[in-house]
Amino acid sequence: MNNKHTSRSRSPRRPARHALGAATAAAALGLALAGCGEQGSGTKDEGKSKTTSTGTKVLWLGDSIAGAEAPALGAALKAGGVEFKDSSSDGGGTVVDSGEKITRMISGDTWKQLTKDIDAFRPTVVAYQVTTYDWGSKDQQRAAYEKVVDTAERAGAKVVFVPSPPIKIDGFYKQHEAQMRTAPGVAAEVAGKSGGAAAFFDASQVWGTDASAGKAQRAPDGIHNCQQGAAAFAKWFTGKLGEQERFEPASVDTWAQKSWTGDERYSKLRCAA
Amino acid sequence: MAALDGLRGFAVAAVLLFHAGHLSGGFLGVDLFFVLSGFLITGLLLGEGGGRGRIALAAFWSRRARRLLPALVCVAVVTVVGTWAWGSADQLRFALDDLPWVGAQAVNWHYITEQIGYWNASDTRVFAHLWSIGVEWQFYLAWPLVVAVAARGRRGERIVAALAGAGALVSLVLTVELGAAVDTTRAYEGTDTRAAALLLGALVATAPVRNLARRVPRRAADLVCLALACGLAVAWAMTEGEKAPLLFQGGLFLHSVTAAVLIVLMAQVPGTRAARIAGSRLPRGLGQLSYSLYLWHWPVYLLLLPRLSTLGDRGATAVAIGVSVVAAAVTRRYVEDPVRFRAGWARGRRGLLAMTAVAVAGAVLWAAVPEPVSGAGTVDVDQLR
Repeated sequence: MNNKHTSRSRSPRRPARHALGAATAAAALGLALAGCGEQGSGTKDEGKSKTTSTGTKVLWLGDSIAGAEAPALGAALKAGGVEFKDSSSDGGGTVVDSGEKITRMISGDTWKQLTKDIDAFRPTVVAYQVTTYDWGSKDQQRAAYEKVVDTAERAGAKVVFVPSPPIKIDGFYKQHEAQMRTAPGVAAEVAGKSGGAAAFFDASQVWGTDASAGKAQRAPDGIHNCQQGAAAFAKWFTGKLGEQERFEPASVDTWAQKSWTGDERYSKLRCAA
Repeated sequence: MAALDGLRGFAVAAVLLFHAGHLSGGFLGVDLFFVLSGFLITGLLLGEGGGRGRIALAAFWSRRARRLLPALVCVAVVTVVGTWAWGSADQLRFALDDLPWVGAQAVNWHYITEQIGYWNASDTRVFAHLWSIGVEWQFYLAWPLVVAVAARGRRGERIVAALAGAGALVSLVLTVELGAAVDTTRAYEGTDTRAAALLLGALVATAPVRNLARRVPRRAADLVCLALACGLAVAWAMTEGEKAPLLFQGGLFLHSVTAAVLIVLMAQVPGTRAARIAGSRLPRGLGQLSYSLYLWHWPVYLLLLPRLSTLGDRGATAVAIGVSVVAAAVTRRYVEDPVRFRAGWARGRRGLLAMTAVAVAGAVLWAAVPEPVSGAGTVDVDQLR
């Protein structure tokens, strides 16, 4: 068959044989197999890290663009002894309520989740990548970002704002393009006036500002990144965070080619195409 | 009924053209399938309930399984082998992920949790089209129970009609609510949201609506059918894809209502022009192949079309449709019909054995096909230094 696929055994995760004896129809069989759970996604941990903990705990927030960065970011930070929780949201993640029904819904969910995450994870750094749903006026954006800073501060955490990478503006984003453009500047302004409670890491150093340029490293959809882009972002972000939080980022050799590269979302994004 | 077979033919043709990129609203053919299914199944159930006084549910489900499962299992097994041989690593990975859900007739819910619409990921999944088969199966499990209870007694069909109508409206409200999200997969592939079409089909299969339709004079029916058919054609031609916001703000519901009224008029008013056209040879023939054709076309497209780029868009589409039709005809002749009409090998214990053997082959294949390792070699560390 297709020899171009390298493979690994799936048998240890497969209790299907127990179902086979009783199977008399495809539906029943399928139901039993479905109960066996997901196929391996290739994203399991590489084993317990032997790295000394730095005491830094990063809570990662954003939309699905941040989500496509998260597998590499998690691997890089964990390799350096930093705890990491990805709380980005596919199709959501904004903290800004622009007054539109959709952002009211999304931001409501984000704030609820943020409260839960802070209670459960106790982050020392709340990192928020500006989302493609951070619509609304500058005042609405400012109010939301200030609320993030206040919320984190009350929990004893600092905030890091990161602008969204440049993306292909399609029909969906076109009507909100102007608002999307103001969001990073507002986030930088909020960080600047926070008295050290928040920082702004300018990700254009990694991605540039042109979505169609090679530097932006966009996936075939023009919006998200693939593995190489995620790794580039993770290296840059851990470097910047390491300077701020005074920890030594792990060498790329220890994390950049590990199992996170098999994360399912890169398959959905047709990164191998 | 020939005319309804013909409508199936139009529906499957629309879906085939949509998936080939030639009819932006052709996905609405699936909605027509749903309405037809609701109409036919409810008609059968009510007929049985009226004739024998009760509905034999086990026998009903057994007939549905005989009608639908053999082709599905065969297509699924061959598709996995084909994807292993010719598909990309991502397609094989997802085929193996999705196969148990296909077998469980619940792949639509799997795709909802995977947010397949949000990621525009259909062309990485060879079973992406089977969400609608899952919806139909789940409806076939639940709705006969309702009909079996509600149709008892003198006013049974009125009660079924009221339940179908009310259910369709609840489904509409859910669609509007859930369709406002960024990811519309939940609204598009949910059994509860798509139940509107099935229930509208069910509604027009009840005696009160059928009797009303029967009273429409043929000339008037011809005019109404013409208007409704034109409405469907315009929707298929003009709707801009499965994420068009209007779909979830009543658009899908309106399409289903249009289809339901067309179906009941064609079925109840004798000799309408619409019924004659739909019942003509080509649409009827396509309709009779429609189930297998629907099952085959998407994996055939995904695995074949990238290899036909030298033929140009239309040439490649024609070849892919041709291959799908041949595969469907073979499946109908050698799998669907023998099981349906209880040919020698498909009867009794031998039939069960054959079915089990194919299902077990599918399960063994699922366990044996090595899952590709994705991501290897995708990061160049030197570029990071």
